[in-house]
Amino acid sequence: MDCFSELTYAILVDGELAVEDARQVRNHLAACSRCRELVETLRAENRVLKEVLRELPQEAGERAGLAWFPRSWVWGDLAVVATMLALGAAVSQWFDEQRVPEVLEWLNPFSSAGGMNLIFNLSYYFGHGGADVLTHYADIVGWLSLLGLLGSSALLLGRRWRRSRSGLCLLTVLLSLSLPSIALERRHSEFVTVAANETVDDSLVAAGNTVRIEGVVNGDLLAFGRTVEVSGTVKGDLLTWAQRTEVHGTVEGHIYTFSQSLDVGGQVGRSIYAWVQSLRVDDKGHVGDGIVAGAADVGLEGDVMRSVTVFASSADVSGSIGRDLTMTGGNLTLANSARVGGNLTARVHRQEEVHIADGATIGGKRDIQVQVKKTRFAHPKFYFFQAVRLLAAMLVGWLGLVLFPGFFQGTTQAVGAGWRSVGLGFAVLVGAPVAMIVGVATLAGIPVALMLLALYLAAIYLAKVWVGAFLGKILLKRATATTRDWLLGLLVGLLIITVAGFIPYAGGLIRFAVVCLGLGAFAWQLYRASQPIATT
Amino acid sequence: MEELELESILELARGHDADALAELYRRYARRVFGLCRYLMGSTEPAEDATSEVFLKLQRSIDSYDGSVPFPSWLLRVASNHCIDALRRKQRERQVIGEPEADSAPLEVAGPGPSPLSEVISAEQQAAIRQAIARLPENYRVPLVLRYYSDLGYDEIAQRLGLKRDHVATLLFRAKRELRRVLARGRE
Repeated sequence: MDCFSELTYAILVDGELAVEDARQVRNHLAACSRCRELVETLRAENRVLKEVLRELPQEAGERAGLAWFPRSWVWGDLAVVATMLALGAAVSQWFDEQRVPEVLEWLNPFSSAGGMNLIFNLSYYFGHGGADVLTHYADIVGWLSLLGLLGSSALLLGRRWRRSRSGLCLLTVLLSLSLPSIALERRHSEFVTVAANETVDDSLVAAGNTVRIEGVVNGDLLAFGRTVEVSGTVKGDLLTWAQRTEVHGTVEGHIYTFSQSLDVGGQVGRSIYAWVQSLRVDDKGHVGDGIVAGAADVGLEGDVMRSVTVFASSADVSGSIGRDLTMTGGNLTLANSARVGGNLTARVHRQEEVHIADGATIGGKRDIQVQVKKTRFAHPKFYFFQAVRLLAAMLVGWLGLVLFPGFFQGTTQAVGAGWRSVGLGFAVLVGAPVAMIVGVATLAGIPVALMLLALYLAAIYLAKVWVGAFLGKILLKRATATTRDWLLGLLVGLLIITVAGFIPYAGGLIRFAVVCLGLGAFAWQLYRASQPIATT
Repeated sequence: MEELELESILELARGHDADALAELYRRYARRVFGLCRYLMGSTEPAEDATSEVFLKLQRSIDSYDGSVPFPSWLLRVASNHCIDALRRKQRERQVIGEPEADSAPLEVAGPGPSPLSEVISAEQQAAIRQAIARLPENYRVPLVLRYYSDLGYDEIAQRLGLKRDHVATLLFRAKRELRRVLARGRE
């Protein structure tokens, strides 16, 4: 007589086999020692299970042998630091990649010029497109996504209070940084003008198509608009998010700007920090401190008292720089009239990209580093950076899994929804900036918009972690969800995504799809996690 | 209160006596939490579920008729609560899915010695607990109902809305998965 299946024996051992079947099985067992042994094993297994279940499983932190760490802050803070590091690595890598596609750069949404174009055009298209429908759309969609995302994050944070203390700290910091802006004077209309004879005694937050300062702002000026012009005086700092920022008057503090173009033809008391497509300090421009900028084109015709550090695809210097000039990127031209008080450091791809006129004065050393751009794949640094990024992503993934195991595994699983994730992700990718712009435009929403921005950037970074983990899980065909399996899957998935991302032409699309997928899964999981557990 | 018989405590609790309810909590919270911890898969929802079960107890204790021992009744209430919570949590997909049609056929007898059946140390016990806690929900829930709550196949099937055969298959697969995970952990 044939042996029965192991399943049958398992049911027998559980005492759940029908009487007649049980009799047949017992008859067989009497004759088959191998099956008897199996049944004994299964019995012992059940005993062990019952015994083991009397105690509770240890928690994740203890399991890792790190029980003596006060989890609440060490893990949380480590996660924040790791995220910052990872974001930093990603941004620096991004900087590094700026010079790649020169002619077509404006088309590439991942380049600064292209991204800039995309962001500004999209935001102004929605914000000031003129079409009422679109304005309404932006209003409604923006507010809905804003409220939705905010509500769900609040619920999520509320439910996860203990584990997200560091997140709440971050939230508090963001809030405290952004709250003062609510108390400031706010102006919002198509044209915001501070007339020549007008003085604003406090800091001013201005949003409009055109923000023009002809008078005096005694505090800081925060301006959002298509065009921001300062021909008067800002006694504090100038902070702008605009397509065009022009300073022909005086800014006594710093300038922080995220604009398509920044033109400085006036006085800046302190430093300029700019992330722009084009930065120009004309011959009447004077910067009391230094400049740190990421830009496609930089033109320095005026005076900068201290050091200039730029990441740019082209930089022309004909003015004077008090201390060092450090340039990383493409073309560097120093005209006859150029004067650099300190060292000149240029990191370029070809020697001929650096033109230094004979009449140019350089006080310190000239250090021109040619970074041979054979192909980046031939560069050990490239692999090093990729490895660092991979490690950072693994670390972030691991910390995420330790801190929010359910949420991370759930998000990984949600990636599997495929088109739902892609669609939702695309909607969030486009909708969140709209929501942020609407939030900023209505001013009351500035802190919310800032928080949303942080969340948005973090989610974009984490997208590859979730997609990677999902991909790995599929490929490794692991049904279980142990941390080790998850991380192994993540490693495999990230490797695939990284390699696929470098396929010419298709690579960009793949990376974009990964971001959409991950964002969609994240949004979905956020929505699900915020579902209240109703009492019955 | 502590030295009172369970019967008297239950009687007082039926009258919504706060001390009696507190005493029930003191006596059974750990077991209820243990069940919830295994069913829910992590501590936080388990804590929520435990407190909800005891909150509900104030009302539901009226329906306890004494036909089964009180602890069994309480664990049944708790497991129902957890199953409901899991269902709600993952409304869009069936929590306790039917076994997949395409998965490997059930093998014939003879898997050799199981890592689950040997005499085991405390450390190994901990490893098994971990492995159970990390089983996918559709394996974990039936396993816990069977070996923690001591429910029969029929009762599990009824709670989870499954066929009896599927319960057997899920339990079988759950154990096989545990063996696989543990065997790999030893390599």
